[in-house]
Amino acid sequence: MVGMSVLRSAAALAARLGPLKSGNTVANLLTRTVPRTDKVVVRWGHGKKTFVIKATGFYDRRFMKYFLYYTLLTGIPVTIVVTCVNIFIGEAELAEIPEGYEPEHWEYYKHPITRWIARYVYDSPVKDYEKMMAAIQIEKEKADMRLAELEVRRCMRQRGDGPWFQVETLNKDLIDNSYKSTPDN
Amino acid sequence: MPSDHDKDAYPEPPRQTPVVNKLSALPDPALILSKLFYYSVDLPVTKFREAVVRIQSQNKLVYYHQKFRRIPDLTECEERDYVCCYEAEMQWRRDFKVDREIMKVIQERVSACQAREGASFEQNCFKVIQLYEEVMKNFLSRYGDLGAYASGRKCLMKQKERMMAAQTQNT
Repeated sequence: MVGMSVLRSAAALAARLGPLKSGNTVANLLTRTVPRTDKVVVRWGHGKKTFVIKATGFYDRRFMKYFLYYTLLTGIPVTIVVTCVNIFIGEAELAEIPEGYEPEHWEYYKHPITRWIARYVYDSPVKDYEKMMAAIQIEKEKADMRLAELEVRRCMRQRGDGPWFQVETLNKDLIDNSYKSTPDN
Repeated sequence: MPSDHDKDAYPEPPRQTPVVNKLSALPDPALILSKLFYYSVDLPVTKFREAVVRIQSQNKLVYYHQKFRRIPDLTECEERDYVCCYEAEMQWRRDFKVDREIMKVIQERVSACQAREGASFEQNCFKVIQLYEEVMKNFLSRYGDLGAYASGRKCLMKQKERMMAAQTQNT
């Protein structure tokens, strides 16, 4: 077994210093010089850097990739739609209101997309006006009722002839008047 | 194509293109450049515009100018009639918008006149500047210093102050 390990180390040495390996010429083996690789002669190599060292652009490129993707995902369809509307449909022209014709509320706008929004998304301004006036009317009635209630409270408290501000008193029939009838008690 | 602007409101100065008097047989570089600009930019743009107008004239939309009825003013409303006050307020806001647009038109006239005349605009567009000053004075006396929360009620109070000041000045 010892002989086996010696053989193995000898085989490794022979493989390292084998005649077919480069740099292992007879002269080298004999004189035991190590081949120097830093002072190797190179003639007219190109000055272009093949290993460029710079700061990472990975995060910036990833951000720009996702930013452009998500903005253009809706940006491009919207741009196409708006361009087509502007080219093929075009803005409206001002005209006089014909006799006896009541224009719809969206026919008072110029751009076709504004007209579409006024027609299908928003309520008509007449409806908004009426809604606001209805809210004001309700609030006015509430305020009037509150003022009337205060006035009624004041009158009923003062005059005492109304159903409010009545204080429950004892029944007159429960009073025992029997001892009051004779004066000498 | 949209119609051109009112020529009386924004008058153009008379054209002063000189008569061409060629003294040399060499080609005129200004003429060459102008022709180049015409064929490379002006003509394609005009052709594109005409094509677009031809497409748009098939389905033409129309819009109208909305006319609102006149409503009893804030002074003609009873004391606690809030619906009447709301309608008067809306009418006042519409009138305020109209007055602002009038101011914009007059300001645009003054700036157009100034751009047209150049260095001697104080003399040449005297009438326009006079009109602008008068309209601005009236606008400010009615709507100036009302603030961002301006309302018909505040404007009415301002008018009352003006009338009171005029009365104290007269007596």
